[in-house]
Order: sequence, then C-alpha cells, then structure tokens
Amino acid sequence: MQTHFDAVIIGSGAGGAPIAHTLAKAGKTVLVLEKGPLFLPQQHAPSGVSDYKRDELLATGAEKRITLAVANRGQSYYASHVEPDLNDEPHIYRETGKFNRRTPGDYATIEGYTAHVVGGGTQLYGAVSLRFSETDFQLHSYNEQRTDLKNDPNDDVRREARDWPLSYQDFLPWYEMTERLIGINGTSENQAKPFRADYYQTPLDPNPISGYIAKGMDALGMKRFRTPLAVITEDHEPSGRKVPRDPDTAKTGYVNRYGDPLGLKSNTWVSLLAPIKDLPNIELRANCTVTQLESDGYGNVNRVQYRDPSGTMRTVSGKVVIVACSAIESVRLLKVSALANHDFDRRIHQNDLLGKYFLTHCFGGARVRVPERFDKSLSLDSDWATEFCATDDYLKSHGLWAGAAIYNNTSDSALPISLARTLDAQDMDTIWKSFTERTELTGDQLLEWLKEDFGTTLSVAFMANQVPLYSNRIELHPTIRDKWGMPSAYIIKDWHSHDVALMDTIARECARILEKGCDLAEGSVQGGGVYLAENGLARIANHILGGARFGKDRRDSVLDVNCRAWDFDNLYVTDGSFMPTSGGANPTHTIEANAFRVAHHLLGRL
Amino acid sequence: MSILILEQAKKSDLIIERDNFDQYVLNHCAKYLARKEGEPRHNYNGELADSDPRAKIADQWRFPIIDSYGDGSGNPACYDYNLVTFVYAADDAETEHRISVVGTFANLYERLPLQQIRFAGEATRYYALSVKVPKGQVHTYKFCVDGEWQLDPINPQTAKLDNGVTWSRFFTQSCAVPLTFERWERVILERLTDHILPFHTEEGERFLKNYYYYLDRDSKEQNYTPVYRLDEQVGVVNYIDKVLAREERHHLIDYKICLAIIDQLLRQRRRGLEPDRQSREVYMDLYRQMACNDVVGWDYHQYGNPRYFLQLVRRHTITGAFSHPKYGGNISGAGWAFLGELFCDDKGKTLFDWRRSIEYPLGLNEEYNG
Ligand SMILES: Cc1cc2nc3c(=O)[nH]c(=O)nc-3n(C[C@H](O)[C@H](O)[C@H](O)COP(=O)(O)OP(=O)(O)OC[C@H]3O[C@@H](n4cnc5c(N)ncnc54)[C@H](O)[C@@H]3O)c2cc1C
Repeated sequence: MQTHFDAVIIGSGAGGAPIAHTLAKAGKTVLVLEKGPLFLPQQHAPSGVSDYKRDELLATGAEKRITLAVANRGQSYYASHVEPDLNDEPHIYRETGKFNRRTPGDYATIEGYTAHVVGGGTQLYGAVSLRFSETDFQLHSYNEQRTDLKNDPNDDVRREARDWPLSYQDFLPWYEMTERLIGINGTSENQAKPFRADYYQTPLDPNPISGYIAKGMDALGMKRFRTPLAVITEDHEPSGRKVPRDPDTAKTGYVNRYGDPLGLKSNTWVSLLAPIKDLPNIELRANCTVTQLESDGYGNVNRVQYRDPSGTMRTVSGKVVIVACSAIESVRLLKVSALANHDFDRRIHQNDLLGKYFLTHCFGGARVRVPERFDKSLSLDSDWATEFCATDDYLKSHGLWAGAAIYNNTSDSALPISLARTLDAQDMDTIWKSFTERTELTGDQLLEWLKEDFGTTLSVAFMANQVPLYSNRIELHPTIRDKWGMPSAYIIKDWHSHDVALMDTIARECARILEKGCDLAEGSVQGGGVYLAENGLARIANHILGGARFGKDRRDSVLDVNCRAWDFDNLYVTDGSFMPTSGGANPTHTIEANAFRVAHHLLGRL
Repeated sequence: MSILILEQAKKSDLIIERDNFDQYVLNHCAKYLARKEGEPRHNYNGELADSDPRAKIADQWRFPIIDSYGDGSGNPACYDYNLVTFVYAADDAETEHRISVVGTFANLYERLPLQQIRFAGEATRYYALSVKVPKGQVHTYKFCVDGEWQLDPINPQTAKLDNGVTWSRFFTQSCAVPLTFERWERVILERLTDHILPFHTEEGERFLKNYYYYLDRDSKEQNYTPVYRLDEQVGVVNYIDKVLAREERHHLIDYKICLAIIDQLLRQRRRGLEPDRQSREVYMDLYRQMACNDVVGWDYHQYGNPRYFLQLVRRHTITGAFSHPKYGGNISGAGWAFLGELFCDDKGKTLFDWRRSIEYPLGLNEEYNG
C-alpha cells in the first residue's frame, strides 16, 4: 500500500475535490482520504443500480434515539443514510434558551453535518450555485464609515466585519473554472455581479408554480434571473456526462437531501473525481477517517493518521496535507491533533483564533399557499433568484451591513412524507414532531390538510451574511466523545442583534414577493428568520463556515492568503472554514472556486 | 475484485463476475461496524440485553445488506430480485477464518463461502458474500465460522423454527409475510390506522373502488403482493409489521404492550364482543381518548403514555401509506395513486405524477433503475 504522496487530501467534498482534480491532472501523486463510502450513480455502478435512490426514507430514515448524556437524551432523530450516526459521532451545541423556550444545556444535534460520503455535502445539496457579490468580499471597507446600522449599539459590526484578502475580481477566474468544470445551469443576465464569460448551461423550464414568483419580483422591480443550479441540462464535456433524451428526467421531488442516482446533479464525484479516477497517480480511499495530524517540529505535518475501513490505524504522509472535512470537523481534527502533539498545538494556536468566528448564514423566508395546485414533484430545487437585497441602495436605505440572495424553493414539501414530517418544521431536529402531535389530523381532516397543502405551498428563501463574532465558536466538548474516543465538536453560537434585524428586514421582502405574486394584501404574509425557530440556535442551514479564517495578517487569521496554516509549511485548510464572512449566497460555489485557486498555488510548489 | 452472485438453484453455473465487490462491501460496513471502543451506544429502548455486543453496532438492522439487484444491462427481469449481502466481521484482519453461510435461500445445507474483503490490496476483518434472492421472501440462515455454527452476530433478527431451534432471519423487499403481529393484533392496528388515513372519506372510498379493487391481476402479481389483508389501509399494517421487524425493532415493545392493553379494554367496554366486530365509533373514541392521554380502562402501570403510542402509530401510518412499496406498505403505489387521482387539473391531468420519477415497472421512468 502506497504511503507517501505529493498531496494527501482529507475530505472529498467541495473543498477537497477541486484540489484532487487539479493536482492529479497535472501528474502529481494524490491520495484522497474520505470518511464516507463511495456511493455511485447508476452509470458508474457495475450493477446499473445506484446507492442513491428516489426514496423518501433514505433522506430521513428510521427513528433513532439519542443515548448520550446530553439534555436531549432519549429524543428521536431521523438522519439520512449518508449522515453520521449521532450516537457514534455527535455534534453538541450549547442551548442558552435565549430565543426560545428550550431548557438551557448541551444538546446533540444533526444540524451542522453536511454528508459523509464521497462528494461530501455536494451529494445532498439543493445545488443552488450562486457567486458571492462584490461587496461580500469587502464588508469591512464597506461598513467602515457607516453610522446607520440597525440594532448594533456596541458597534460590533464595524469592529468585526472583515475584508477578504482577495476581491471578487480575484475570484472571477476561479468562479468561471468552477462553472465550467462542475456543470451548472443558469442565466447571467440580470445578475448584479460582473460576468466576463458565461459558462452556464441552459436552464430547464421553470415549474409553473414559480410563475407567482416571477410576477411578484417583477411587480416589485426586482431584477430576476434563473437560479444557477449545479445540475446538467446538456451533455457535459469536462465530466463526460450525458443527459438523457428527455432532460426533464432530472426533475423530481427527490432533490434536496437526496443523492442523484442518475448523476445529473453535479456533485464533486461526478464532476471532478470520476473523470480522473483511472489515472495511475490518484488514489481515493473511501471509508477512512482521519483521526490525527502530527508535525515534525519544523513546520511540516509529517504523518496523517487514519482509521481504515476495518478500524485499523494507519498512517500516510504527503508533501502537502489539505484538510477539507467541512468546517466543524476540520476545526475538530486540528484541535484534536493539538491535544496530542505539543508542536502541532503551538503552531496551530499561534493565536487563539482556531474555531473562533464560526459562521453560518442568516437565513429564513416566507411561505404561502397559492390559489392553484401544481405538480411540485417535477422540479429542481429553485427557479428564480434576485439580488435586489444586495445592492448598495438597498443596504444603505435599510441600515444593513451586508446583502442577501433571495430565491424560491420549488422542490420543498413536494412529496407526501416530506410534507407530513416537515409540518411546522424545516430542520433535522424537530422533524415529525408536529405531525405526530397534531392528532386531530385524521380521516377527513387529514384529507383537508392534504388538499390545502399538497402542491400548493410556495416558499421564498434568503441567504445572508451573519455577523462574525469571536464568541461564536467551535470547541472540543469536555466530556462527550465519538466512537473513536475523540472529543466531539462543541458548537457555541448566538445571533447578533443586527442579524435579527437583518433577518426581519429581508424576510419581509420575501413575504412581499409572495404578496405581490399572489395578489394578497400588503402585510398579509408573515415572513421570518431562523432565529425564531424552536431550535434557532442550533440551526445551520447546512452551511458550515468560518472557524479558520484566512487573511493577510497572521494576528487576525488562522490561514494565510493561500489557505496555509500560518506556522506550517505544508498544511492547508480549504473547506468552508476559510471564510472570514459567510457571503450573501449559498457557499459551495465559492468553496469550490477557492479550492481551485489554492490548487493552482500548490502546483507552483509541488 | 469480483463479486460472486449465486443463483438460487444451480449456483455454480451462474456465477456472475462483478467489479468493485470489496468496495461495495466496505461502503456498507465501515460506518456501522468500524469503531475503537465498545460502548453500548445503540440500545435505544432496552431492546437488546446490555451485554449484547450488537449494542455497540450502529444500525445492526442493515445486515445482511438488502439492495436493489441489477445485472448492468438494465434488464427489467432483475426487478424481481434483491441483492442480499452477508457480512461477517472478525475481530481483526490478521487471522484468516473459514466462513460460510447456510440458508433457505440456497440448496439446503449447501455451504456458500464468504470471501475475505480487501482494502487497497490488503486483508480486512470483513468477510462477505452476495446472493440474488427473489423479492417478497423470508429466509433463515446460519454462519459456519471455522467449523462452528453460529447465528449472525450482527443482525438481531431471528426466527424459531418448528423444531425449536433458533436461526438468523432476513426478508427481502415488498415482503407481505407476517413477521411481527398475530392476527388479533393486526385487526386492532388495522382499525386504528384506518381511522388515521383518509380512505373512509368520500374521495377515499371512490378511489379504492375505482382504482384499487380493480387493479388488474397482472400488476398485482408484478408487485409481489398477495391480496391478503392489504386492502383498505394500502398495506400500512404490513409496513408496520416490517419496520418493527427491522429498522425500528426498539418500538416492538410499545406495540406489543399497547395492543394487548387495547384488546383488553375493548373487550371490557363491550363485554364479550371481539375487537374486530366493534363499531367505527368505538375506535374513534379510543383514538380521541388516547390523544388526550386519558383512556378509560387503560393500564397505566404497564404503559404510562398512550398518547405517545398514538403518535408513534401516526408516524408509522403515514410512512407506510406513502413510502416506496418495497418497504411493505403503499402496495403497488396505491397511496401515491390516491394522491395522483385526487389532485388533477381541470383537464384531468394529474398534479402528482409520481410515475414519472419512479422506476419502471412500478413507475414509468426507464432511465432510473430503482
Ligand atoms: C441538504 C443540503 C442542501 C444543501 N444545499 C446547498 C445549496 O443549494 N447550495 C450550496 O451552495 N450549498 C448547499 N449545501 C451546503 C454544501 O453541501 C456545503 O456548503 C459544501 O458541501 C461544503 O463543502 P466542504 O468542503 O466544506 O464540506 P463537504 O462538502 O461536506 O466535505 C467534507 C468531506 O469531508 C469528509 N470528512 C469529514 N471528516 C473527515 C475525516 N475525519 N476524515 C476523512 N474525511 C472526513 C466528509 O465525509 C465529507 O465528504 C447543502 C447541504 C445539504 C446537506
């Protein structure tokens, strides 16, 4: 078994795969260590059947119960087949009870995981693939002189906002590379960001229910464009994927939280790893969990320890080591390594910022029942998007520090079980709760409820920057351990008062779109931000960012501009954790673009 | 590496070579079986003895692995089968073992060898074998480990044969053989789930008349569902029977206790009248009282929270009615078809075109193989 490589990459998702792709194509020897299984779409499976299925019980499986010594011990949870087992590998978050009536304490949560499988979160994602806006890269400069920010009495925003060390212009070539290599459909017209070239494939026809959205956005003067989605609609040359005779076959209710058995959804396996899998210089070891990095005392990670599929400890080494486990798990791996190795500890903690400034998004939206019924089970995740709330005008006139993307959801609640289990709940921790509790829904009343909600609910969501706070952080939990005996991640986070104001403001815009689109009276639709949810402190929207931010100043960041840990020569971190601010859009496209950028830096040194 | 697929009757003639067998097995094992320490993290409800090593294994029910079967050609005849993969996990990779399986899915007493699975060219602690088994079947099996017979140490399902001997058990998809409930339990559960589902509404009855009762014979057979008792609840009770045998074994105890309490209290309420002969109103009352956690005659000593049980039944009922038919409910897609017929536009075109997404022959999608 080969044990030394040019590059050892830990994690095969958005942050890891672009690097594996680039380095392998350039002839470097590459090892990808991936904790999850190699689940294949039909075209790669010798049997012709995929490990992913159009099956509601794969996305949200059988009931399990939390058996750990936590406040929600005994509580049910329902995870997908590619999420970790919560009792084996828990994430713990601290509930303060500030935004809701939950009893304060430490809770286990499935929020904060993407997916543990080759391709990582990109296997399950809704595939919304927006670029960040120009302002998103410069939120410190943008807010430096402002005095108009809502609900920010201590001036936290101006103190804590950071510019990225790179601008939108710097990211542009990498965005383009991502759009081309991943395979994304969409339209560039009406996007506020400058485009040099358009690599989008042609979008499929929108689901007719999205007509209300188009109407609402138009009435409000919101420029709209087709939501860029990482789903191929035409044959995709870079990955060799072909689209079926009827490209609409990609449309289904089994979108968000489902892997795609047909391989049309552009995850990092089909787009980046499968095309290089037969090269002699790359090896993908799936079902291998990295448990520790060791350093040699001179600034190099010289050993990567992992558990092979039998659970046996093995080690490998690489000229460079790239950590891309998704932010919470990457921070945990670095912290666990520091616990075991003094030199590693000293270097990774050259300042105290590792794990700090953990970020997700401010998100939320609004939802209505439309007057007609539509077949939502034939759709992709979203049809229309607008950057109306990301313009300078908008931000200044509303006293907001940063903007948001707004887009509609089309595939949500499209299927009967998901409709029932997400009744009054959209997150993983409270799923099924309301349906089981609303015992009056039987027979006639159940039928009435189905008639009201099936194929009639339409929602608009927003994705906005969250104010970075030092106190929002990932630590190691003092007592809870995973099945390998390693301390579990402990998530401590809160919403800033400006976040709350921002969510309220933009949720109102989402509600207005629906009011205008459906000819409803102004003020009749209620929008809301995630902080209002029962477990609003745990909620992460699957967007797991920050905790190892990059920057120009070693005192203020964990990683340098190339995402190299400051006091290491060969250690890089390239998943969502590098972000200093979370961006006003879904993050994956930017994580991938950044990983391509780092890969090209690495080519210069390998 | 290659996979050995053993056809039922004449195995050795019909061995099919397949790539990536080792990868396939590791993909379905590592998360559940690989671990460092032996804490019993997976005993939810005391369904396992504390000393049972299974409590250290996540999702024990996933073994043997029951998967869709395909031969790579898209041949629709494959749809009648599952790929069943037996896995044995030895303590370590170093010592080599001789492991075989014997079971009712092959010629009786024919030992089929499990092969040691390799990872990156080296031995692992896993041994596995895949066989092709028709859907809708229940089988018993045992492992022979270095000459000694034993039950599957992972799979908690067992069956006691007529001669009193216990074997390990598995069942394939779309199985309609009762595994969990006695007839009297099924009766009560049918009445309860019946009350939850919308099939006693006007629309429901019309649908059942037009669509379901007249489902042509062919399509019924195609979906391996003997008409046995799978009528009005679109197979929900069968789904519950299966989910309690496998994925949610930890809730078996809730059902066993509560159905017995209900049986008793219904008999008390209408002295002498069998529960299945009691009226709809009796079950409606019972449902309402359970919802309020205030049930006349309920034995609260035995089971403190009837509302909790009701909530469990609600989740299982909806899941059974609308999950993929391979789980045992939603027979032939009847639950989906009900919605598909209920929701149409003014030209009669359905607004829940589930057949477009779902694999042929259950649905109409010929790209997706299920
Ligand atoms: C249901 C869902 C919907 C989403 N929708 C969208 C969307 O529409 N648009 C969008 O932009 N984003 C979306 N996301 C988020 C998106 O998936 C993530 O932003 C993205 O995948 C993050 O990339 P990453 O590299 O940080 O982590 P990941 O892509 O999650 O990759 C991390 C990988 O590391 C592996 N790993 C972890 N620990 C170890 C270890 N110790 N050893 C070895 N391997 C390890 C994991 O198994 C995983 O494969 C969605 C996510 C989910 C779950």
